[in-house]
Amino acid sequence: MANTIIKFNGVEKRYGDTVSLKKIDFELEQGKFYTLLGPSGCGKTTILRILAGFTDASAGTVTFKGKRINDLPANQRKINTVFQDYALFPHLNVYDNVAFGLVLKKTTKTVIKQKVSEALRLVRLSGYAEREINELSGGQQQRVAIARAIVNEPEVLLLDEPLSALDAKLRTAMQVELRQLQQRLGITFLFVTHDQGEALAMSDEIFVMNNGEILQQGSPVAIYDEPINHFVANFIGESNIVKGKMVADHQVEFVHQCFECVDAGMRPNEPVEVVLRPEDLDLTSVDQGNLVVTVDTQVFRGSIYGIMSHDHAGNHWLIHSVHQSTVGRQVGIYFEPEDIHVMRYGESEAEFDARLEQYEGEADEKI
Amino acid sequence: MKMHGWHWRHLYLIFVFALLYAPIFYLLFYSFNQGTTMTHFIGFSWRHYAELFADTRMIQIVLDTLLIALLASLLATIIGTLGALVIYQVKRIWLKNSLLSLNNILMVSPDVIIGASFLIFFTFFGFKLGFNSVLLSHIAFSIPIVVLMILPRLNEMRQSLVDAAMDLGATNWQVLSRVVFPFISPGILAGYFMAFTYSLDDFAVTFFVTGNGFETLSVEIYARARQGISLEVNALSTLMFLFALILIAGYYLLTRYTTTKRRQRRYQLEAKIKP
Repeated sequence: MANTIIKFNGVEKRYGDTVSLKKIDFELEQGKFYTLLGPSGCGKTTILRILAGFTDASAGTVTFKGKRINDLPANQRKINTVFQDYALFPHLNVYDNVAFGLVLKKTTKTVIKQKVSEALRLVRLSGYAEREINELSGGQQQRVAIARAIVNEPEVLLLDEPLSALDAKLRTAMQVELRQLQQRLGITFLFVTHDQGEALAMSDEIFVMNNGEILQQGSPVAIYDEPINHFVANFIGESNIVKGKMVADHQVEFVHQCFECVDAGMRPNEPVEVVLRPEDLDLTSVDQGNLVVTVDTQVFRGSIYGIMSHDHAGNHWLIHSVHQSTVGRQVGIYFEPEDIHVMRYGESEAEFDARLEQYEGEADEKI
Repeated sequence: MKMHGWHWRHLYLIFVFALLYAPIFYLLFYSFNQGTTMTHFIGFSWRHYAELFADTRMIQIVLDTLLIALLASLLATIIGTLGALVIYQVKRIWLKNSLLSLNNILMVSPDVIIGASFLIFFTFFGFKLGFNSVLLSHIAFSIPIVVLMILPRLNEMRQSLVDAAMDLGATNWQVLSRVVFPFISPGILAGYFMAFTYSLDDFAVTFFVTGNGFETLSVEIYARARQGISLEVNALSTLMFLFALILIAGYYLLTRYTTTKRRQRRYQLEAKIKP
């Protein structure tokens, strides 16, 4: 890639005997919004700290614009960080906090003044320059932290769960603002979060992590629609996952029934897992449904009802419906072949991509 | 709770403070006595103050004592701050705890033992007793106090502040001078004042390591008291008491200074914003 800005090559991190990162490889392109998504303790913050220069990698190389930066100290990297606790300096006011990096670079006073007010304007905090940090709300502090980082014009901005301390409404507003800010500045953002909704809303590209490994990389839509395994399917959005069998290409069997699907390229009768998203399931009458289920509970969630139900084989099905149902009633659920996503056991991302290419190629030839 | 209501606890408070301050005020009161004893108050007079100011030896000792206290607390604050930073940096728990314990042992061990050990140390190395030996021993026993005042403040500081400073391009020295020192400055100030008062009123350690020809106030007063106390000492005590009051007021104002300054700035700002 011509505009690759950051590259991790076989990066590992060990603390004594415990391995917190296993062979991480990825590339970041200039000007995109990336998200590292995973449960706490999966190693996503470690990647951020290695990139920022606060932690050394035990093995592998980190390159920045083609140059190895493993041994470059944090204060010489053109990368800035927005910390989870904001880490604003309590003895300095907003202006001095934002100006901190510029003052260290011995920028002239007039330039500092101009850049600081520009940065504060970008995060919509003009007029707050003289405020003390402890006089600001959480959302305002967060924006000061962002201003303090972007005023240095970094090529990559790292954000370590910066929205986790905000309330739900403010968090949603900040998601939009961060995304707009990234597009206006045109720099690479690497955002760390355990909140899948946040990741889906903001990113160009998501890395799903677990246990020190990157499980899947892709656009929000790709990851949501085609999760590679049980963990990803469960972690991103809500899923119904049932065991099944791949009878033949485009034919999958689950709950003792055979369904048409769009997946192919597997061994005949290979055991698989089948994912159906709750919003893809439509409530219908018993005779019109693909499957018949009994409604167990029903939760009103504002825009939709969350309906928990079970089929005769004991599988649980979560259905999102705009229409109400009745607890204890038998209903049919209907879905299209495209709604079914089949996952093989233990398939890696590379194998998945290769298989996808192969059978999509076959399909093109037929046309 | 009504502030003006009468409670038994007020009586208790008055009793305790009376007990604590009565001897001091007794001493202060007789410094104005026209007579020369602390048993009969004959009439008001400044004569003991006049005697005190005519006593050049006493004035010299007061100045020496203040000089020792200022120098010792200053040097102890510098060394103690660096010491606290080192202990803070130590990652291994057992080493950190050992260092802290070594520090605390110096705090709690009796002055007599510390004084005696300093005396042995100085004489063993043939160090001449006098101003320097007193200064060195005062620095030594003040360092643990400073360390103990600064460490809690350092522990309050989040690691991410240091990371953030590095992230914004600060060198190690800039991290210390622009982030760490401002953050722990209240602790440094408190440590300095504590060290100052410890040095000012130390008797036991000084008594051991002061040689011929150099005295501090406490040692001198002790020596004079053995020959029967003169009311000149009362006059001196009154002045020292006032000095201590000024010191405390100064410390109070100094710690309040930054907050009021910031508050004022905010009021000005708000006045500007409002149309």
